[in-house]
Amino acid sequence: MIRVLNLFCVALMGFSILALYHVSEKARVAHMQLVHVTREIAQTRSDLSVLQTEWQHVASPEHIQQLAQARLGMSDSASVQLSSFDQLPRRGEDAPLNNSPVRNASAVVPALGLSLAIRHARGGRGM
Amino acid sequence: MKEEQFQRRIVIGAGLCVAAFALVGLRLADVALLKPLAEAPAAPRAVAPRADLVDRNGALLARDLPVKDLYARPEVLSDPQEAARELAAATGVEEKRLAADFAGRLRSRHPYVLVARHITPDREAAVMHLGLPGLEFEPSAKRYYPDGRDAAQVVGVTDPDNNGVSGLELGLQDRIHAAAGGAVATSIDMRVQYILGHELAQARKTFRAKAAGGIVMDVNSGEMLGLVSLPDFDPNARRLEAGDSTVDMMAQNVYELGSVFKIFSFTLAVQDHTMHLDEMFKIGQGLKVGRYTIHEAEHMPDMLAARDILARSSNIGTAQIALRSGGVRQKQFLANLGLLTPIHTELPETARPLYPGNWRTIETATIGFGQGISVSPLSFVAAAASVVNGGRRIVPTFLKEDGIDRRGEQVISRETSEQMRDLLRYVVTDGTGKKADVPGYEVGGKTGSAQVPGDHGRYIPHALRTSFCAVFPARKPRYILFVILDQPHGTKETGGFALAGYTAAPLAGRVIQRIAPLLGVPAEAPTTKLADGSL
Repeated sequence: MIRVLNLFCVALMGFSILALYHVSEKARVAHMQLVHVTREIAQTRSDLSVLQTEWQHVASPEHIQQLAQARLGMSDSASVQLSSFDQLPRRGEDAPLNNSPVRNASAVVPALGLSLAIRHARGGRGM
Repeated sequence: MKEEQFQRRIVIGAGLCVAAFALVGLRLADVALLKPLAEAPAAPRAVAPRADLVDRNGALLARDLPVKDLYARPEVLSDPQEAARELAAATGVEEKRLAADFAGRLRSRHPYVLVARHITPDREAAVMHLGLPGLEFEPSAKRYYPDGRDAAQVVGVTDPDNNGVSGLELGLQDRIHAAAGGAVATSIDMRVQYILGHELAQARKTFRAKAAGGIVMDVNSGEMLGLVSLPDFDPNARRLEAGDSTVDMMAQNVYELGSVFKIFSFTLAVQDHTMHLDEMFKIGQGLKVGRYTIHEAEHMPDMLAARDILARSSNIGTAQIALRSGGVRQKQFLANLGLLTPIHTELPETARPLYPGNWRTIETATIGFGQGISVSPLSFVAAAASVVNGGRRIVPTFLKEDGIDRRGEQVISRETSEQMRDLLRYVVTDGTGKKADVPGYEVGGKTGSAQVPGDHGRYIPHALRTSFCAVFPARKPRYILFVILDQPHGTKETGGFALAGYTAAPLAGRVIQRIAPLLGVPAEAPTTKLADGSL
């Protein structure tokens, strides 16, 4: 009985040593992977930071203006050409803003004229 | 007996073995199941000791970029002189300095020599390619400004150790350190900043001005949307090119601003009811004050109504109005507006105003039209904003406040403020500020053409410093714009005139035309005749 117990204990010890080694090795590998991933995250964050800065540089108002002028032939608009979204007619509305004149930066467009223009445009699209 | 003793010893030995295995088992279970994995040591992270600086819309103004500093241990190098030559070629540093440092360090107790700071990745690769021993790369950070010169004066710069040395980099240093890893939001709007800078640069070039500057401020929240001072500098270069300047003329310098100062003389007179706007004043050929005679810069009618004195910028008329207020009241009023003390904002750059110690009658008259007192444009803008924002004190800020009302105590009455807004609109519709008007936007404002003092205290002949202070929309101002040109020259288009009405006023108009739609200022449309004749 004691011999069996001894053998069992020795076997258990051997198995424990192997299991412990296995777990230890797995932990070491996982630790290395973690360090590697953490470094990669830091590097990616760093690259992202550089890219964001680069984006800010290329999307600066100065670059946008240069591109708009060179590629699109755009120039500064007089305020009379500017309006805002809330002054545009909603879809399905016969005349904008309940038949009231549409107001842009400096020109008042009578409701009738605009209404006709919208109808004409809708007709052209087959609506 | 002997056998029993033997068996007992075996049992004790077996028991000890079981106890030992039990301990090992318990420890195994503890390590494998119960204890969480110890945290891995953090990998080297990007050095970011300073927070980003962003504009009011989140656009990046300044950010730390990860770079590396290169150190060498000369004692490890087999041939320090040859290594110095190779390292100099790879990093761009001076070979002589490096060779001398290597030689000196070999004799000293300190093992390391700083070869180069802020090494870029391509230079790092070039150094690695040399295969030299004893080199170490230390992670560091370099402050980068994506917009370059566009916001250089207001954002400022850091030194090589990443400490703020000017502008908001210095003024907001504590916040920037506290928010490391995050961002500090400023009140600057880069769109406004760029447009202001672009138009100022164009005007400076057109009128061959020595310098130019501008400010855009929210009159209710005090938020500074833009501040430009030209000449400027490249904050990323860390060295000045010919013609560059680090001086922020809008905050660091004081100027006699000339006729824009008439705003305050009229505000005081309206506030104290010392004149009526329709009251007629004799202008004549000159106003004698003691042994001095005050003249006009331009020809004026013999008589002018008070409102036209401001609209046409009459010095003689304004001097008479200022003299009615008196020196004591004038000084008290200007002090109350904050014009006699340095202004304090988040910008570290500030300037002490210059005004006469002996405030006599002649000083009262000349200060009335902006001579004899020098203030920084930033101080002027803050005071002028108080005049038009309903009469309440406003302190400029460079921190984002989301447009909240930060107006303080009442310094002039609401009625006076309303009257001044009407007067400023009148200057633009019927006076010297006509070229600042923008269709669709009610612009109010005042021109200023000040003489420029020379080195010996005398004014430089024909040299002017022209400015324009604009508010828009004039009926209910949201923004104040101030532009200044230092010694502009007339052009063919201006008929050779360099006065503010020909130089600064159109400049202000162009800026407003471009920024007002971006800022969501509602356009008030004048009725326009259509082709069919209808309105």
